[in-house]
Amino acid sequence: MKTIMTAVVLALAGTLPALAGDLLLTTARPSNLYVFDAATRSLKNDCDLGSNMLPGITVMSPDNSVAFVLVNNWEDVIGVNIETCEKVFHARQSSEDIIRRSIASFAVSKDGTQLYTVRNPVRKHSDRFEVLPTEFAVFDISAGLGAEPVALFDAPRRSTLMATDRKGSVYIAGHDIYRVDPATGDTEVAIANASWDRPTYSPPDVLAFWPTGSQNDEFLLMYTAAVFSDESQQELADFVWGYESVNLTTGETEIADFTSFEVLMFSAVRSATDPKHLYGVYTQLSKHNLETNELVKRVDLPHTYYVINVSSDGKELYVGGTNDDIGIYDSETLERVGEIRMPSGGDMGVSTVHVIPQG
Amino acid sequence: MKPLNQKAERVQQAAAEDKMDEVRAMQTVTAGCATTFDPGWEVDPFGGVAALCQPMEADLYGCTDPCWWPAQVPDTTINHKSWDDGADNAARDWRSLGAAYPKDAET
Repeated sequence: MKTIMTAVVLALAGTLPALAGDLLLTTARPSNLYVFDAATRSLKNDCDLGSNMLPGITVMSPDNSVAFVLVNNWEDVIGVNIETCEKVFHARQSSEDIIRRSIASFAVSKDGTQLYTVRNPVRKHSDRFEVLPTEFAVFDISAGLGAEPVALFDAPRRSTLMATDRKGSVYIAGHDIYRVDPATGDTEVAIANASWDRPTYSPPDVLAFWPTGSQNDEFLLMYTAAVFSDESQQELADFVWGYESVNLTTGETEIADFTSFEVLMFSAVRSATDPKHLYGVYTQLSKHNLETNELVKRVDLPHTYYVINVSSDGKELYVGGTNDDIGIYDSETLERVGEIRMPSGGDMGVSTVHVIPQG
Repeated sequence: MKPLNQKAERVQQAAAEDKMDEVRAMQTVTAGCATTFDPGWEVDPFGGVAALCQPMEADLYGCTDPCWWPAQVPDTTINHKSWDDGADNAARDWRSLGAAYPKDAET
């Protein structure tokens, strides 16, 4: 565990950053959790996760004091105090003969007392693997470093990202977006995906790896789907991007197409200050108007980025993941106004970039 | 026309057996963790390569970590966890990424 207060990074082009007073949090190889000051582009803290950080996907506690990180090849969830670097939580999901991995599927309750995972158990026999039923596991965060599930329920297979709302429900992205009551395990479809009633559409494809969305208090995912000219689905009319969102205050959901499928996007974000605009990232950074379905602007990026987030004032965009840098863009012009490099020089891979408001 | 790899050979075989309805082109499946364990794809959703991750090294660990490229690189999730040790930056360290071989007991 170590704390470094060294400024590392450079602001490009001399443009002054937005004065949002945000912190940026991410993870990078080999085992680092980084906290940066977004305004000064400088390193604020460097925590050694003490573990193989793969995949490094991170969920914040409601008060943003603890980062919960999926590590050890998708098996363990650890909680790290982002000011002291102290490890305050550890759920080792695997046991001697059973491997349990969570494929990005974990979330923290909005009251900060419980952590949920969907985990995929596989029993190791001497001559074969045995796939066991998928589990929804409930942990008490107060259990600390030896956390074990306090409840287990059946869970949908092929689950990835999860989120919680302020009414106590848990959302799981899988074949559909499911809503789970963590007290009973009761599960219902919140947003239909594979089961959607769109006769002229193919089933959607949804990529769900990046638990961002806190800036607009939503669980936001995108889908692609083929749209056919009629229900016979013989003639392709378009290939579309759509978004689906759960409002994490009210639990209300929305789903809608917003543009044709012209470029790939791996993740998207909206700002609470300007929710009609959706920003998506991959090898391009795109700004879409969801009210007019207009592509406002698109710029090429110096390399592919997986994850995007937005400052609290909505003025800056942060793109990260893949390599070893966070690119900073003006949300109005999509001009690159700065960057932050990982001090370890390690790649971020599929890690998350969180924006933590200050003050 | 001669198939360049086994996958293409199977497509040719399916055509010969009138089973093309069973062939699903991977480029229509752009992304999705439901397909995490798919065998990877050689082309992008548009049939080209321009929309693949750029540069390729940007995608290396993002794909190996979730075992997305099991056919192309060693499986770092279960069998070859240390394959990328000491190579934390794919763009800089890719030359030190070697091949993986079965252990004697596995041959």
